[in-house]
Amino acid sequence: MGAARVTTGPEVPGERLARPAPSGERIDASAIGAVRRAARRRRVSVVVVGAGLAAAIALAALSFGAAGVTPDRVISVLLGGGERIDRFVVFDLRLPRILAALVVGVAFALAGAVFQSTLRNPLASPDILGISAGASLGAVWAILGIGAGGAIVAGSAFGGGLVVAIVIWLAAWRQGLHGVRFVLVGVGMAYLCGSVVAWLLARAEVREAQTALHWTVGSVADVRGDELWLLVVGTAACGVVLVFLTRALRPLALGDDHARALGVRTDAARVALLVVAVALVAFATSVAGPIAFVALIAPAVARRLVGRGGAAVGAAAVVGGVLTLGADVAGQFAIPGFTAPLGVVTGVIGAPYLLWLLARTERTRA
Amino acid sequence: MNAASVSAEASPIAAPATRIGVGRRPASGGPPPRARRAALVLIGSAIALLVVVAASLALGVRAIDAAEVWQALVRPDLTDPDQAVVVQLRIPRTVIGLAAGVALGLAGTLIQGVTRNPIADPGLLGINAGASLAVVLCISLLGVTAPLGFIWFAFAGATAAAAVVFAIGGAQPVRLALVGAALTALLTPLIALVLLRDTEAFNQYRFWAVGSLTGRDLSTVAALWPFLAVGVVLAATLAHRLDLLALGDDVASALGQRVGITRAVAGLALVLLCGTAVALAGPIALVGLVVPHAARRLIGSDYRRITALAVLLGPIMLLSADVIGRLVVPNSELEAGVVAAFLGAPVLIAIARSRRVAGL
Repeated sequence: MGAARVTTGPEVPGERLARPAPSGERIDASAIGAVRRAARRRRVSVVVVGAGLAAAIALAALSFGAAGVTPDRVISVLLGGGERIDRFVVFDLRLPRILAALVVGVAFALAGAVFQSTLRNPLASPDILGISAGASLGAVWAILGIGAGGAIVAGSAFGGGLVVAIVIWLAAWRQGLHGVRFVLVGVGMAYLCGSVVAWLLARAEVREAQTALHWTVGSVADVRGDELWLLVVGTAACGVVLVFLTRALRPLALGDDHARALGVRTDAARVALLVVAVALVAFATSVAGPIAFVALIAPAVARRLVGRGGAAVGAAAVVGGVLTLGADVAGQFAIPGFTAPLGVVTGVIGAPYLLWLLARTERTRA
Repeated sequence: MNAASVSAEASPIAAPATRIGVGRRPASGGPPPRARRAALVLIGSAIALLVVVAASLALGVRAIDAAEVWQALVRPDLTDPDQAVVVQLRIPRTVIGLAAGVALGLAGTLIQGVTRNPIADPGLLGINAGASLAVVLCISLLGVTAPLGFIWFAFAGATAAAAVVFAIGGAQPVRLALVGAALTALLTPLIALVLLRDTEAFNQYRFWAVGSLTGRDLSTVAALWPFLAVGVVLAATLAHRLDLLALGDDVASALGQRVGITRAVAGLALVLLCGTAVALAGPIALVGLVVPHAARRLIGSDYRRITALAVLLGPIMLLSADVIGRLVVPNSELEAGVVAAFLGAPVLIAIARSRRVAGL
């Protein structure tokens, strides 16, 4: 390694894209293997640390709360024992919320990672591409326009998100799905839906408008029962499909020509990936509301933690889960006597972390 | 010389040569077709702007005939209710629409040129979010209720947000865009948090947040025009540098461009322009995004022409949104912000579908 550094000569500023270039060395299979192994180690360690963190937060969250169930009683409940009241608190009150927070984060983060790498724009996330805004419009219309609640609002949100996605699709499709077109149309739809939401909020009675505003912030406080199962099963199904599709993701991030040269059928791959991402967003948003910017922040953070890892889908999912779970716990317990909905806290925790990462890294590798 | 320039026009590959020929005006008569087309587009847009301004003065919920409007312009008589409407309502909103439209059009052009991201605009760079948070806090904590009281808070919030974005984002396009989005992600929930807890503040804020040209008078423009003027001048001086930036940082600096300085000056101009726009009209979506794309489509990729056209297209779009908003709902008005979104989205889709969208 030392020899390689000597041979690189004077460092050209802005030439950091290459690894410490072994220009004098012969590049052989073992060197490539070593780089790959190091990258994989890093990826795996991010995932493992993240999963451990999520488990620790989940355990802590199970033990916090007004009911005062101590950690040892939580563990005995989890092991199948415990009193009936403890079982009720843990399984019916706390676990659904924890699970919902975790899965919502995973879903948004996966969707964001897929959007960003298939469309090759680090800003491409459902928040910015109008899919969340479409869902918000659907829900706000249901709340303010027809005075609905519960499942109708969720369904309307699901529909709103899907309709916007389809509109973007139809408008952006022209002899294939061009990334820039998709992103541009998406941003236009986001602003359009956002303006209509702002207008609806300004027209309505102020209390009702505030209820609608609450929905647009997003929360997992009341997610349980059928909704929760829908979320978990939907996210899991999309995740399984994604596992089969991820092989196409990294070539796509290189650009269409390279991807095609590497044997990826770009249009088919991109359509399949985006369908899955839209489905993930629709499931998560209809259940929990458009939790702000998880889909933007989690993949960006994951990419920076993993290093030059391309899409970093797995790491993004873990970061997303940790972010939303941690945010939900912090929103409930960080300031005594003050609770904040999940959608508020994710932005407040996640965005500064991303800003810090951005300020710290000299050059972006997005 | 003459022959060379004629043959250059014939071959599309030698396009830069035609541009060099623009100022020289070959003897065979008239400027080359591309410059002529640009001139035609600019003149057409200027006429369109005049028409829109006239419409903004003449049309509205209250039917006032043209002679009366003219009378109000040249020799206003405020005891006449019709003339009072023109002088006290329509002239201010027209002037505010002009100023905010110019600011938004130029700001969008600058942001897209500097970040080289086709979706960059004041809304995405965290600037509108900064202004919104400042306005929310000023309503909630200080109890300010009139839009006139918001302007300095909106301006300060926008300025602070832009300063943070440029301080952290620095000179790199991708990072700049990401920092802007991250700042939006940080501020938007904070705004929501205040609004969820303070119903009274929400009640005030929601009308500002739609984006509108009404409820302000000319004193807002009188207070803000120096910032707008400096912003416009800076943007004008930057235009030709954006052309070089579009080639990429490495090429631009190889050609003798000081990329960092260009970005810093652009940042300053952006702060002034975005601050002015959001202070005047609230967070108006899509104008800053659509105008540069439309200009690029109409007049080609030369940033000097795009900038000149953006100065005209911005107010055309914002003012026509305002005029349409006065006419679509009988006896009522739709806010300019909503109408601008409905005008802008189809235009943006049409541009996105056109063949030449492949990048900036």
